[in-house]
Amino acid sequence: MIWLTWRQHRREALFALAGLAVIGTLMVVTGLAMRTAFNDYGLPECVARAGDAGAGSNCNRAFNQFYDQFSAVSLAGILFLVLPLLVGLFWGAPLVAREVEQGTHRFVWTQGVSRRRWALVKFGLVGAAALVASVGYGLGVSWWVSPLNQGWRQNRFDAFFFDMQGVAPVGYTLFAVALGIFAGTVWPRMLPAMAATLVGFVGVRVALATLARPRYLPARELTYPVQGTGEPDPTGGDWILSSGVHDASGRMVAPNAQVICPPGASGPDGRACGAELGLGPGAYNWQLYQPGSRYWLFQTIETGIFVALAVLLLVLAIRRIRRIA
Amino acid sequence: MIEFVLDGRSKVNTYMQLVQQVKQALRVGLLAPGDQLPKVREVAQALAINPNTVLKAYRELEIEGLAEGRPGVGTFVTRTLAGASLPNQAELRDDLVAWLHRAQAAGLTPEDITALVETTMRASLPVEGPARQSASAG
Amino acid sequence: MEAVLETDQLGKRYGRQWALRDCTLRLPAGRIAALVGPNGAGKSTLLHLAVGLSRPDAGVVRVLGEPPHHNPAVLAQVGFVAQDTPLYRDFTATELITMGGRLNRRWDATLARTRLADLGIPPGKPVGKLSGGQRAQVALALALAKRPRLLLLDEPVASLDPLARREFLQTLMGSVADTGTSVLLSSHLLADVERVCDHLIVLHAAQVRLGGAVDDLVTAHRRLVGPRHDGAPIPGVAEIVRGSHTDRQSTLLVRTDGPVTDPLWTEHDVALEDVILAYLVDGETQTNHAAWGVPA
Repeated sequence: MIWLTWRQHRREALFALAGLAVIGTLMVVTGLAMRTAFNDYGLPECVARAGDAGAGSNCNRAFNQFYDQFSAVSLAGILFLVLPLLVGLFWGAPLVAREVEQGTHRFVWTQGVSRRRWALVKFGLVGAAALVASVGYGLGVSWWVSPLNQGWRQNRFDAFFFDMQGVAPVGYTLFAVALGIFAGTVWPRMLPAMAATLVGFVGVRVALATLARPRYLPARELTYPVQGTGEPDPTGGDWILSSGVHDASGRMVAPNAQVICPPGASGPDGRACGAELGLGPGAYNWQLYQPGSRYWLFQTIETGIFVALAVLLLVLAIRRIRRIA
Repeated sequence: MIEFVLDGRSKVNTYMQLVQQVKQALRVGLLAPGDQLPKVREVAQALAINPNTVLKAYRELEIEGLAEGRPGVGTFVTRTLAGASLPNQAELRDDLVAWLHRAQAAGLTPEDITALVETTMRASLPVEGPARQSASAG
Repeated sequence: MEAVLETDQLGKRYGRQWALRDCTLRLPAGRIAALVGPNGAGKSTLLHLAVGLSRPDAGVVRVLGEPPHHNPAVLAQVGFVAQDTPLYRDFTATELITMGGRLNRRWDATLARTRLADLGIPPGKPVGKLSGGQRAQVALALALAKRPRLLLLDEPVASLDPLARREFLQTLMGSVADTGTSVLLSSHLLADVERVCDHLIVLHAAQVRLGGAVDDLVTAHRRLVGPRHDGAPIPGVAEIVRGSHTDRQSTLLVRTDGPVTDPLWTEHDVALEDVILAYLVDGETQTNHAAWGVPA
């Protein structure tokens, strides 16, 4: 079985290997360039002092320069987002669909090996290959993206950055492969299986990222006065889900805004801070957030969900395979 | 060694065709006692017919005492059909030629002669072998 | 005698449509059996049930005494060539033989190689680039390399040209003579069936219409010609399979259970092909002149 799996999929494996090699080279080259520029512009210092008001305009200019220079490179990041999907489309979907489409399932399933064993070995080997590849590019992208992450003062929780680094890509890749295999058992033709994989993958990813991920753990609330201290630390990497200014009765008066005046300051016409916005006494800033310290916990939860989905789909696929004739 | 041929349009059973071909070969002296008949596998493969059919034909020949199977070796001819009749055939043939000339002189066409021979044979000679002839007779 | 294939009330359904129904038959060992019927009669369904590719929805199927579905022990003793001889087209014949060796406990690679060498099939060419006849030969060699006790072939020669068809049947008959394997092959080429098979199963509209040894079937059936038949029983006739009538005369294809002695009826032998066709025709053909807009 192992020989057969290798013989059948060696071409896909070599293509994938070549593709990963190209991407890897691209990553190393641009990654090193970014790091050099990051250091040359003095950004490490700016990042370290991000909380200080004194960091000033030099840092802002450096950040902008870095942003302009590498905004094109960041498009490559989109490629890393779709890599798991490509693996699902080209490794997962054809696994069963092509056999049935070409009728070869009647050939291979009537040799002396049970269908269950055929499925376990094939899914196992293709899954293992997907795992190795995804761990590889997950780690690679984590390394590659970190200057962009810091240089663009982006939060690691942001949709784009959360999804393409750490362990999440491993979960996505395994899920995509399992989805492809399962789709192939339901629509045993190549194109429908691939289309179903595409739609299913994008649908589940978007649904989980927008609806479920903010609720993996109960979000925390933070309130701090309009005037005075207690504002959150921007370098903490918190994921702010929602924020605004509430009045004394707790009613939201200015959604998606925050008002911060230095202690003892007043408006230009002598009125109290924020009065021009209609803020009365007792108004305060409010935000709902996931603390930055939960980043790895969230990565683990997200990966766990997708791995669990993958396992479920594979079990269903094996059950369905019993019934294909 | 003889080679079998099959007449696909013949109404005669495949196995009967094989039996008849062996008998024909025995009559004309192509096969003699001690000769080996083609192996079952070879006949089945060459003619693309069921090996059981060949076996059945050989069994029929054994029942008629014309051949015997030697396990693991093959089937061999044990008796000939030519024996007694072969020397007589020339004389009989001369008689037949003379008779044919008389029939022609009497105004019979070749079709008439064939019909006369067949009906006379059917009337005066017993039907030979187990082959069913009712299809053509009925 | 031992049965290599036995079914009892076997049924298989796709959705609400029965592809095979109430199928009860018994195939003794050592036979070469033909499965005959029009397209969609359930031939492939029966073969897929026999090779364990699908599971019965009703009744039982036993191959070499055991139910074949999800039963690698049975699978090891059954050779199967599916319709259109599907093979991995980018594999060479050599690679397919290697593959068979890895997937089967009992595997005679030498037999397969010898067979393909005898036929002059190139070992290193992807089988997708071979001719249809050569590909069918490769598929047959792979099925035979299992040294099966039962060989199931689904329309093995349907897509081959006459020469390739003859060569395929020659190889098949040679192997059967060598090994004594039982064979069940589906076909709609009645001439081939008549030449090769000694057992017959006729399927029509998902049901078994006729089954048994060819010799018995041919002997049991007769064509009777006589005066117009009014439906009265004829002594010696078990069943009138098919009849056609003019205003004075009836021609009946009948299954007999004894000699037909009634002098009104003239008896004729029938060929196997006539018997098969009689069972495949559904009674009287329904005319539909109105639908075609032509006078009857």
